[in-house]
Amino acid sequence: MNQISLNPRLRTDITFPKWNGLKSYAVGSALFSSTIIMLILGTLLIQSHPALFASDLNLLSEVWDPAGGQYGIIPMIFGTLIIMSIAMIIALPLGVLSAIYIAETRSDRLKHILKSSLEVLAGIPSIVYGLIGVAYLSIWVAEGFELQTGRVILTAGLLLALMILPTIMTLSEDAISSVPRAYRENAASLGLYHYEIIKDIVLPAAKADIAGAALLALGRALGETMAVMLVIGSLDRLPSPLFNVLASSQTITSKLGREIAESAFGSTHFSVLVLMSLILVAFTLILTIAAQKLFTKDPHNA
Amino acid sequence: MLSRTVKNTLFASALRIALFISLAILIFLIGAILLEGFKALSPSFIVSEARDFGAAGGIRYQLLGSLILIIVAAVLVVPFALGTALYRSEYVTSEKLGRCIDLTIFSLNGIPSITYGLFGLIVFVNILGMGVSWLIGSILLAIMILPTVTVSTYQAMRAIPNIYRESALALGLTRAEMVRKVILPQSLHGLVTGLLIGLARAIGETAPIMFVATAFSGVTWPQSIYEPVSTLPTHILALAQQATNPDALRNAWGASLSLIIIVMILSGLAFIARRKLEPQRSM
Repeated sequence: MNQISLNPRLRTDITFPKWNGLKSYAVGSALFSSTIIMLILGTLLIQSHPALFASDLNLLSEVWDPAGGQYGIIPMIFGTLIIMSIAMIIALPLGVLSAIYIAETRSDRLKHILKSSLEVLAGIPSIVYGLIGVAYLSIWVAEGFELQTGRVILTAGLLLALMILPTIMTLSEDAISSVPRAYRENAASLGLYHYEIIKDIVLPAAKADIAGAALLALGRALGETMAVMLVIGSLDRLPSPLFNVLASSQTITSKLGREIAESAFGSTHFSVLVLMSLILVAFTLILTIAAQKLFTKDPHNA
Repeated sequence: MLSRTVKNTLFASALRIALFISLAILIFLIGAILLEGFKALSPSFIVSEARDFGAAGGIRYQLLGSLILIIVAAVLVVPFALGTALYRSEYVTSEKLGRCIDLTIFSLNGIPSITYGLFGLIVFVNILGMGVSWLIGSILLAIMILPTVTVSTYQAMRAIPNIYRESALALGLTRAEMVRKVILPQSLHGLVTGLLIGLARAIGETAPIMFVATAFSGVTWPQSIYEPVSTLPTHILALAQQATNPDALRNAWGASLSLIIIVMILSGLAFIARRKLEPQRSM
């Protein structure tokens, strides 16, 4: 807007003292907002420093025993990965297939009801999902598999699948609906079946946005604490055999949730917990930024 | 090799089955929350104090505690979100700098909520020595919703047609006057909507506040900023951990439904704010 400087009043605006109160307020808050993230990362880095540089902690072992000086974080990382995998294996196909149905249905009423109930579900706090896990899912799993406790990997994975299903459904539905109608009409007029239109035309066009939805859901699952903490059983051991999903386990977040308050500030124990949190932040940041990149890419040029 | 017709039919049934399962899940979740919640919810449940570690009585101080936390968080977040959006929308001229700011804001949004709790514990409770205090909870919730509020405000500012700015400057307004008289009133809906959506998320958060701002039992109205409060989410957490006690579980459902009703009210207000406050522009 400074190009139209033929107006003399505008010229005075340009020569007006640039660094006025309003601008310093705007610059100040932008600077503050942008540095918070550095502040958080810096704090975590400094506090995890003792754990990173101590040599005798056996961080990459499978044994977690603070009293014996053993701080193996492998069980927590394994727990996080296996629970995320279970949640994605269930929620991704279910969410995308349901999203295709919703996007392709001709019933506006069904669409409206589903989309509004998905929005309601997305607003439910995670602690309430935790309560549902404790009161229903863990009991069902315990009874169904005749276990002593239902607080096992499978329960946590199922609960997480329930939590990310609304995200995957809404975002995939948006992606599929935004594929231009003309694509489908052309394909249909060429004699393709509905299945072929979806598989060969619609899904490839919506691919980037669906992948973005999956990454976003994965990031949410990774950082989820409260619900997982209540149903995971909190056992710092690798399950045996390794892929026994009916064993109790521990994730990074549930470990943090259970033990931060108990460990003394400044101790090695605390420092290892901060290190785990740093690993978690690194993973989620990568996922968030990757998802952002996928969403901003124009799917029709991909 | 399956014929095309068979494949098509199989696919159609796969879609129906998936939708059926998803619908069953939706109905189960909403049904469980409503049915279990209404068994406990009553006017006296909302106004009476919790007794017997939450197994008896109501949620009076938990409700008040949650409200204090989000109201103060709102007061803390607004100036920073508004300033950041203003800078990003009206002052940034370099595309690179703009992308840098976006990146930091998006990254902040991606941080797991438990990390905020850990950060608060390290910096405020231990290094600054504030002890467990509700104010730390408000500060952390404010940081957590900063991206939501900023982005919503920024988008509203970007939606103001440039001709508004040009006209204001052509009328002889200084840039500061233009921001005050044109940009702020025309983007108010973005700020209000973003804030309400952010608060709807903040009030349900447990992980950022559970080590630094809350205590479970015996907490009433805080006398100073150095005292903890009790909140709905941390109350539900404590009750869920004694789930073998049916009375505790019933009250946990009551507290959950109350919390969800507040979330719904805030989201509903956000929806109304977007409709009512958004200026009608005929460009």
